[in-house]
Amino acid sequence: MSLLDFSSDVFIAAFFLYSGSFMLYTIAIMGRKWSGRKPEEHTARWGKIAFIVSSLGLVCHLAYFFTRWSGSGHIPVSNMYEFMTFLSMMVMVAFTVIFSIYRKIILGVFAVPISIIVMAYAAVFPQEVQPLIPSLKSIYLNIHVTLAALGESFFAVGFAAGLMYLLRTVNFSSKEKSDRKQQRLVEFTLFSIIVIIGFLGSVFAFRGAGYETVFVRSNVTIDSPGQGDSTIEKVSYKMPPIVAPYHSEIESFQPFLGMKEPLFEAPSWMNGVNAGRKFNTVLWSLISGAILYGILRLAARKPLGRAIHPVLDGIDENDLDEITYRAIAIGFPIFTLGALIFAMIWAQVAWGRFWGWDPKEVWALVTWLFYSAYLHLRLARGWQGRKSAWLAVLGFLVVMFTLVGVNLVIAGLHSYAGTD
Amino acid sequence: MTDKRPLITNTKCECGHQNPVGTVLCEACGKPVDGEEQLSADNLEMRYDGVARRSQRVNPGVIDLVWNFFSSVKIAIYLIVLTLLGSMLGTVFPQESTFLNIDASTYYQETYGTAGEIYYKLGLSHTYESWWFVTLLVLIGASLVICSLDRVLPLYKALTRQKIRKHRQFLTRQKVVLVTELQDEPEAWVARLVKPLQKKGYRVRTEGGALLAEKHRFSRWGPYVIHIGLIIFLLAVLARGLPGLNMDQHLAFQQGEAVRIPDTTYYLKNEKFTVEFYTEEEMPKEFRGTKILPKLYETKAILYECTADCTDPSKEPKLAEVARHNIQVNSPLSYNGLKAYQFDYDLTPVLRSVQPELTNSESGKVYGKFKLDMKNPQRTFQAGPYTLELKEKYMDFGLNDEGQPVSKSPYPNAPAFLFLIRGPDLPAGGQQYFYFPKQVDKEKFQMEAINDKLGGSGRFLELEVGSMSDVDFSESTAYLNIRVDRAMPFVWIGAGIVMLGLVLGFYWQHRRIWLAIDQGELVLGGHTNKNWFGFRREIVSILAKADLTVDEKSLDNGGGLA
Amino acid sequence: MGKARKPVQIIILFVILLLGGYAIGSSVFGGDGKPKEGGKAPSFELLGLDGQTHTLNEYKGKSVVLNFWGSWCAPCVKEMPALQAQWEKWKDQGVVVVGVNVGEDQMTVENFVKLVDINFPVVMDSGRDAVRSYGVSPLPTTFFINAKGRVDSIHIGQLDLGTLDDQIRKLVEP
Repeated sequence: MSLLDFSSDVFIAAFFLYSGSFMLYTIAIMGRKWSGRKPEEHTARWGKIAFIVSSLGLVCHLAYFFTRWSGSGHIPVSNMYEFMTFLSMMVMVAFTVIFSIYRKIILGVFAVPISIIVMAYAAVFPQEVQPLIPSLKSIYLNIHVTLAALGESFFAVGFAAGLMYLLRTVNFSSKEKSDRKQQRLVEFTLFSIIVIIGFLGSVFAFRGAGYETVFVRSNVTIDSPGQGDSTIEKVSYKMPPIVAPYHSEIESFQPFLGMKEPLFEAPSWMNGVNAGRKFNTVLWSLISGAILYGILRLAARKPLGRAIHPVLDGIDENDLDEITYRAIAIGFPIFTLGALIFAMIWAQVAWGRFWGWDPKEVWALVTWLFYSAYLHLRLARGWQGRKSAWLAVLGFLVVMFTLVGVNLVIAGLHSYAGTD
Repeated sequence: MTDKRPLITNTKCECGHQNPVGTVLCEACGKPVDGEEQLSADNLEMRYDGVARRSQRVNPGVIDLVWNFFSSVKIAIYLIVLTLLGSMLGTVFPQESTFLNIDASTYYQETYGTAGEIYYKLGLSHTYESWWFVTLLVLIGASLVICSLDRVLPLYKALTRQKIRKHRQFLTRQKVVLVTELQDEPEAWVARLVKPLQKKGYRVRTEGGALLAEKHRFSRWGPYVIHIGLIIFLLAVLARGLPGLNMDQHLAFQQGEAVRIPDTTYYLKNEKFTVEFYTEEEMPKEFRGTKILPKLYETKAILYECTADCTDPSKEPKLAEVARHNIQVNSPLSYNGLKAYQFDYDLTPVLRSVQPELTNSESGKVYGKFKLDMKNPQRTFQAGPYTLELKEKYMDFGLNDEGQPVSKSPYPNAPAFLFLIRGPDLPAGGQQYFYFPKQVDKEKFQMEAINDKLGGSGRFLELEVGSMSDVDFSESTAYLNIRVDRAMPFVWIGAGIVMLGLVLGFYWQHRRIWLAIDQGELVLGGHTNKNWFGFRREIVSILAKADLTVDEKSLDNGGGLA
Repeated sequence: MGKARKPVQIIILFVILLLGGYAIGSSVFGGDGKPKEGGKAPSFELLGLDGQTHTLNEYKGKSVVLNFWGSWCAPCVKEMPALQAQWEKWKDQGVVVVGVNVGEDQMTVENFVKLVDINFPVVMDSGRDAVRSYGVSPLPTTFFINAKGRVDSIHIGQLDLGTLDDQIRKLVEP
């Protein structure tokens, strides 16, 4: 068995161990009300088991990382698959660090799933080891990417704790206007997470079924008067096309549930043949997310926020507030060093300018400014509790846009870091 | 100024200390100054230890008003948020600066439609150079300076002049509080605490039955260190724009030619440019045959400095080698502040010179060979008994609208030469001969037909290149980005200071414990700037050393405002 | 601190105003360092067809029509007669026409000068230094520089006799 095969095997092992530990953390928390048990003892015992399992997962994950490194000859953070697997690993590292400080079992219920989702998202991308292009051959690849990911992972844990704070403190039984607003916002946050799960579900479901439909589009560009240049673009849909690319024709179509042609065409401003495909993916994610949400809602027979709320009963909200802040306070210097300072050093060495207002650079700065504002609001303006928790939730959205959204929506110098 | 300050009676604390206007907590004993505040039971506002900031004064003048504006954290946060939003706007469409050659006034409209046009008209296509964005950065800079100055000095004063014994209210309104009965002799009990506190890194001062333990005060300076670093960073960025400190140009370096770097005395020669691609075996199976990945771009470069005759264009400059480096993407050539970065390349060969032979097409006799440079060629050549005079030269041969031969560009894409040959068996006035060194051009422009027309049917002379060794090509052109950035060290110093401040401020916490034992009652108050959780745990473990068992949670006096 | 407080505040605010003004000013007015109408004409030092080195300085006190051209550029060729005519008309009134050839070799320039029959001074910018410092991109580009060494106007593209005459008149009689 080659090193790289071993690497992907332990990666899968890590995935299942994380999933297992998530269930164990959940049992540790949910099971404390089971009859005939002493709640604290139950939580402590099961929490311990859960932490052992999640740590084992992390060990496997680290094994994946280092064997892939030695098998490929370069640090595995050079494409979207590798970066996302690394990010999920760092989320677990950040979780382990915060967990060992605060020993809050409940954190596992919310932080471990983030890692699992990021891992699953990684699997969307091609997994082959790619050789490094010249611009990535640098020691700064190792430093810049890893530190940035680690900093962002602490923000992820901050997000988890912030969301927990909200689920803990929002008054879900109240009918007051301000409380209703909070309830709706929490519900929307949960729905957004479910849409991401829906996206992953639909990608893997259609991939498993081997679905493919191909569209072609001929582009005529006029270079100089009288000289037209015609290029043919092809785009392959891996999900049934609800929406076809603007001005395109079907080359091959695989019917799905009796659907024999796309339902509509992308609007003209969605230029680019891939824009239609991305839009289609968004639609599928929304549809499957909505179905999933519907099922969960039916099962719970109440809004999800309200359903989760009792899980957090008895958890000290001040501790959650403290954890949110602490995770961000630990992550902020690491993020600054990795995502800004080493990014600038590398840019200076590779491109001769330390800052070029490339979209990825700008969004790293936006993330930094956002958390700076968070820290100022908290430290100097006394924004604690609810407001601070919302900022932690929103901040992670900014982080995810920087990591994923910029690659999907805006292309720039970092475009090699993403496919689609 | 101090004498002009109006004496407002309520700033005088009952402990006898006269506090400046704006003081929240008495500088000496910590009792709230404000009467209403004294009645409250909420947690104390411990920012800057409750001392007056510099900007807080009565009867502010214009200068004070401006000062106060910038010293406000609220304003600073607004500025951060505005900069954040502005930065975001700039990423909606690519910035103008990402393109080398576009007409921005039409590009955005054509590429992105109406939205693009609006984007351009709003000036967002150059967001980061716009007056409002730069203004925001300047305002942030001003806010950094003034906010820091406004707080750091009073805070410094407050922290260096701390009194050990504080007002009871000051202690009981901290976020960590313990009030419990204690029968022990106060001074002895306090003395027992000193050792365990010191073991935890606290510096301890006692005064009778009162104690003040403090550690990691330097952490309080973290934010100000960050701000100083940011100010240096911003100043360095500003200094980059000063004339002479900054140079940025993209130059083409044809292989084998030393090219002068404008505005300097340096010349750079591209000895050889190499581009390598990954072989099929090195690629993952999925990419084989479909994708080509570059492996290496490298320019073997030599940097020369001109030592004499540098500026006089009529003389050849004298060059001395000063540096040599294989420039790769992540490895620029660097010499004395000048840096050369690999930017782009062109593998189109460029003809430099040919050495044709004059032959007799009838007898096959070779008269002689001469070197014909594309640039600044010799004007006359001798080949055996024949004299060739170069009359015309076209670098990129073509015909204009009137059918006359012209050069279409200054680049030797299709060079052509018109000779006048004189010698035996030729007309007295000589014979004209058109020579195209490149084989494709010979066919394309029908060299033979042209020469037949010029020399008549009896012509017998031909210019031909014998072997490829007589053709001199520059195989490649490397495009390098030449930069000088003298302010860069200060950018890094600034960034380093920011990092230092972040580590100081975020990885250590300033922790203080006040303790007083009066009439059989122990009152303990604790303050830290973060990580209350760990702080409470630490206090519990310290108190345990003096045989006082307390529950961690019981110390919590409303850790949050929520 | 007491007494020094106000002066310190004023000094700090003043420094901020100065630096901030510079930063904003250079972002708004600063530009690319290319000469603009009304700005100072950059100096140059180029080899002339006569074998001598020529600088802008040597035409001090005269109005200069600085024309950037290339032999391969059709509009450049077409405007040459107009330049020659104006050179003959104005040369005795303190106006000098200088042709700057862009990046070609001596032979090409010599042949060209012979072909179009011009006799105003021609210099060769073989290293494209003047092109860079004048920020010339399309050819031909003509700079009208007054006797004080300031750029009066810039004309991009082919010149005709009439415009050329107007421009020079403006240059001589401000």
